[in-house]
Amino acid sequence: MTNSMNINQKPPKLSVVVIAYNNELYIEEALESLHEQTFEDMEVCVVNDFSTDATGELIDKFVADKPKFKAVHLKENSGGCSTPRNTGIAHTTGEYVMFLDGDDWYTIDACEKMVAAIERTGSDFVGGQVIRTNNYEIWYQRQIYNMERTNINIREFSMMLFDSLSVNKIYKRSFLDQNQLRFPEGIHYEDIVFTGKAYFLADSFSIIPEPVYYWRVVENADVKSITNRRFEFDNFKNRIVAHRLFDAFLREHGDILYQANKNNKFLRHDLKLYTNDYLEFDEDYKNKFHELIYEYMHEVMDAYAFIRLPEKERIMYYLLYIGDKQGFQDFLSYKEHLPTSIPRVYSKGGSYYFKTTAEGRNHEKFLKMENLEFSVSIDSLELTQDALTFDWNATMESITNSEAYYSWMLKNRQTGAVIYSRQTSGGKALLPLNHVVPGNYYLFLNVSHQGNLHRYLVKKPVIAHLPNLRVKDSTYSRQLFINNKNSFAVKVAPLKKKDQAAWMLNKRKAASKEPGILEKVFSPYAKNFFKKLSVKPNWVLFESHMGKQYSDSPKYIYEEMRKSHPQYKFIWSFENPDAVEVPGNVVKVKRRSLKHYYYLVRSKFWVDNQGIAHLTRKKKDQVYVQTWHGTPLKRMGYDQKKLPSDEELAKLRVQTNAWDYFVSPNPYSTEIFKRAFRYGGEIIESGYPRNDIVIQKPQDVIQKVKNHFRLSPEKKVVLFAPTFRDWDPNSFQKTLRDIQTLSQSVSEDTVVLLRLHYLLSERIGSKDLPSNIKNASTYQDIQELYLIADSLVTDYSSVMFDYALLERPIILYTYDLEEYLSRRGTYFDLVEKAPGPVCRSIEEVIAFINDPQKLQAFDPALHSFAEEFGSIEDGHAAQKVIERVFK
Amino acid sequence: MQKRNVVFVLNEYNGHGGAQRVASILAEDFVRDGHNVAVLSINEQKDAPSYFSKDIPVQIVQKNGYRATAPKELSSNLKAFRLNTVAKELKRRRELAKRKQEVEKFFDKYGDQEVFVIVIQVWGMQWVQPLLYRPNVKIIGQSHESYIASKASSRYKRILRYYRQVSKFLLLTQKDADHFEGQGFSNVGVIYNPTPFRKQVDPKVLYSSKTIVSTGRLIEAKGFDILIEAFSRIAQDLPGWKLEIYGEGPAEKSLQTLIDILDLNDRVFLMGQTKDVQAALSASSLFVLSSKAEGLPMSLIEAQSCGLPCISTDCAPGIREIVGDYKNGYVTPVDDIQLLSRQMKRLLTNPELFYEFSQRSYESSARFDKEYIKSQWYDLFEEIGGNEK
Repeated sequence: MTNSMNINQKPPKLSVVVIAYNNELYIEEALESLHEQTFEDMEVCVVNDFSTDATGELIDKFVADKPKFKAVHLKENSGGCSTPRNTGIAHTTGEYVMFLDGDDWYTIDACEKMVAAIERTGSDFVGGQVIRTNNYEIWYQRQIYNMERTNINIREFSMMLFDSLSVNKIYKRSFLDQNQLRFPEGIHYEDIVFTGKAYFLADSFSIIPEPVYYWRVVENADVKSITNRRFEFDNFKNRIVAHRLFDAFLREHGDILYQANKNNKFLRHDLKLYTNDYLEFDEDYKNKFHELIYEYMHEVMDAYAFIRLPEKERIMYYLLYIGDKQGFQDFLSYKEHLPTSIPRVYSKGGSYYFKTTAEGRNHEKFLKMENLEFSVSIDSLELTQDALTFDWNATMESITNSEAYYSWMLKNRQTGAVIYSRQTSGGKALLPLNHVVPGNYYLFLNVSHQGNLHRYLVKKPVIAHLPNLRVKDSTYSRQLFINNKNSFAVKVAPLKKKDQAAWMLNKRKAASKEPGILEKVFSPYAKNFFKKLSVKPNWVLFESHMGKQYSDSPKYIYEEMRKSHPQYKFIWSFENPDAVEVPGNVVKVKRRSLKHYYYLVRSKFWVDNQGIAHLTRKKKDQVYVQTWHGTPLKRMGYDQKKLPSDEELAKLRVQTNAWDYFVSPNPYSTEIFKRAFRYGGEIIESGYPRNDIVIQKPQDVIQKVKNHFRLSPEKKVVLFAPTFRDWDPNSFQKTLRDIQTLSQSVSEDTVVLLRLHYLLSERIGSKDLPSNIKNASTYQDIQELYLIADSLVTDYSSVMFDYALLERPIILYTYDLEEYLSRRGTYFDLVEKAPGPVCRSIEEVIAFINDPQKLQAFDPALHSFAEEFGSIEDGHAAQKVIERVFK
Repeated sequence: MQKRNVVFVLNEYNGHGGAQRVASILAEDFVRDGHNVAVLSINEQKDAPSYFSKDIPVQIVQKNGYRATAPKELSSNLKAFRLNTVAKELKRRRELAKRKQEVEKFFDKYGDQEVFVIVIQVWGMQWVQPLLYRPNVKIIGQSHESYIASKASSRYKRILRYYRQVSKFLLLTQKDADHFEGQGFSNVGVIYNPTPFRKQVDPKVLYSSKTIVSTGRLIEAKGFDILIEAFSRIAQDLPGWKLEIYGEGPAEKSLQTLIDILDLNDRVFLMGQTKDVQAALSASSLFVLSSKAEGLPMSLIEAQSCGLPCISTDCAPGIREIVGDYKNGYVTPVDDIQLLSRQMKRLLTNPELFYEFSQRSYESSARFDKEYIKSQWYDLFEEIGGNEK
């Protein structure tokens, strides 16, 4: 059976065990690569696992004249790699052992390098790089084999578990023998067990970043090797058998702590191979697969094994873990844009989740999704001077279809100019191109789903057939264009040389967002200089809500002053001065610009409703009139349930110290402001200037607002103004649903004006709204809206105090009253003092809207509410403030 | 057959190079079939011979000898006062704009007739780009190297920028096409380079020549040193066998030195450039390509067309599309001298295996047959032609 060996001979330094089974094509090459090794002191034992082809003869022929080589022929096929390798170990005596498979080969100096490394380090074993011949990439090069690692332990470098190969390593025979470490016979995936055990048994091992082993990967091979036959269920079963053996070893060896590391490798490497192929498995395979993986997962891991995995794996494995087979299949289908059995994707609080029908509570944290799938296709593109048109088909995958609205948009990346599609129904889109400027207009699909806006950039593969179209008019050419990142655009280019040059210059300017270098250098000097200039006694600087609006009491003080004190110079600061119209002779400045600073330090008077004192240090001869922005209901400042941080209080002090006058709407508020702001300055208890209009009800304003919203006189108007619940990301969705319900349930002659917090108003396009809902969120001045509203629906907003002055019905819609009270706290019992019905559901609200009779019951409450909080409002508050401040 | 207008766009129409060679084979064939063929050459080499016959008109874009440099950014160079660079860049832009107009004019003479423009090299595309929007012009862009090789230069970026809207983007191998499809290209296709000749030599005659042959420019990237070293390892085991390398180039001296050092002057021969590749191949036995990077090497295709088995380094994704490892030749990792020598020895010490590989090599070269490739081009014209847009 074996060649004779001289027993007296000293054992060689290295034994190489080669195993072969039907490798007639490659075995010679494997053996030649050993024969040519630069290392001398070695023996080679070739174990032929009862090959049925010429492998055996080739081996015999090869070893015949080579004393270092010997052949062992097994009497029957062992069906795996373990028996031949163990046989090889038994038939050799070298101090170190290496393994080679019959279809692979070593680099010329593999043995020399490996022996040198194990002698140098004294490790129990040493690993070297493996090169796969399909792409010549090194196995785990970046994560493991990127550098020399000397005498490490698996417990400090668990990444090593990803390399479960046994053939790229050299082992001390004493290490194998003392631990009785051999390949497990009778199973496949013997390396998982052998290498796994070796890692945990070794005191230390080392890694050299040198290629030693060529792994022959034959693509499209007729016969797949054992490790590649993934389509037979036994293959998966065998892998689990091997993993169970490894798991058992970890338990027995006291290394259960490291099960999580091992699980991580199992999930990211082993299991992935099977889930990748899943859709190609037959039904019988799938059933068995689910059964076994469920069983196995519950043996060794819990759900938190997936929590840090990439999204796709996390969701797949979690669904396997909870045994939701249909959900798992749907998820794979979803990723492939195939139909799912039920809508699986849903949104909650702006986040998306994959739905499971399984019982249980904590699913969502494992099924959260960032990457949503959209199927988009475009065809029949046509381009004229006037428009881009095309047929389209778009689906947000696996949602309830009626919930998504699709629209198209062209956006000029250079200028930010946007063109919206005119018609999106019927699968045809038309984007007008009459008013374009030069630049590339990229095409986006906007999907509005449950209040979330998804913007999908169109790439070329989406377009079935892309004609190279170009049209020209006298100034511009318009052409269909694909950029180097494959995005689709309409390129608008100027035709005349002069326009081209101007365009290049503009593009350059637009590209640099930073202020010009002159401005940067100049600004601090200018500010210093401005500060030294004298204060102008007749300059008044106004601001409302940090420059976002022309509204509130500053507006009404300004409008009154315009008439009564025309000798003053008026300045308004806005975030976006061009977008706001202000009547009269007024200087508009951009908030926080140098110009704003100039007026800030030179104006004698500041009139504001939030806080501008932090923008510069107020000078002694400057006067700050703080109008504030509402009768307080929720607790503020020092009154809050949880005292704000020192830092926040310090900020508040900066503001309150700067105030010279504080405008209060009623005695109730006066008391609160003093206490909550620790404010000891003068309080002008005049009523709110902003409420002057509510008392006076000027006809021209009423008409203006009605015209603005195109409201016919006979329509009943309900103003719906919910507040912003910053603690509840879901509130926006809730509001959207409420709007839908409102729209469907209110009577035909009713229109709802929707007034949202500006942060929310940006998330809602008027397109999404039903026709009987008007978005009034961006309307500058809410006071004007009161005048046309026949009733008000709100919750905790100070809106109710102002609106109550009209003594028109107020419905409080406080579905989360308890939560609000516990989080914010109020100054009085809202339910007790409420100016109208306190409703807990939108249905209740609708019932009141549709039945005004019922509302009359609350007239006394409304009246006493108006009395208590509006007693001093007489329509001349602005005048009173001006008289006090400007003398 | 419908008479077609075909324009080849080349960096230089003359001089030696795989691209010129392939273009000329196709062009001559198209002319023979009665098509109207012209060549648009961006530059020309001074006093260099041309593969193209006199029948094919050549228009040179840069008649003034200007050669476009790589684009530079203006503003940063201006700020750094690199005025020379700025001046060069301005000149480049001016030239490009002017020549683009001339190219447009060149195509004006076709009127509304359909023209197929075959852009052989990526570089030329920047001059041809304005033609994209002419409905009668169908642009076929080619890349004659593997995507991996193109990544080493600006060509890869140019492909991403210029080739997305051409009617067809042709690659030399399926693997390259797959790569660009993965990059979102939906216009890719594969047409192999045609072999200029195809005639089987009896495998036994080939074997009896006892000659290992290789061809190519003598430059480092071709790895002839690897080949010589590999041969030296087995020269003793292959008595009577010699190695012949055809080609010229800067590495000639260092290769000769290597041959001297290895004392192989009577076994390894640098043969210089040959006019008749077919004859040289037909008089040899085994072709070895030892390059470090290639596209779809013509040399392997030509060798197989004479029935030579090939051993090649795995220096491009397309190698395995030509050479079937252990089927009609061997594929070895780049720079692996030992394996290369072992495979050469394996094949040359086993005549039966040699005959088998030789026969299979010739059969497999049918895919590169001129007539067959030409028919693929005509199919392509058919596919993208017509004014349906």
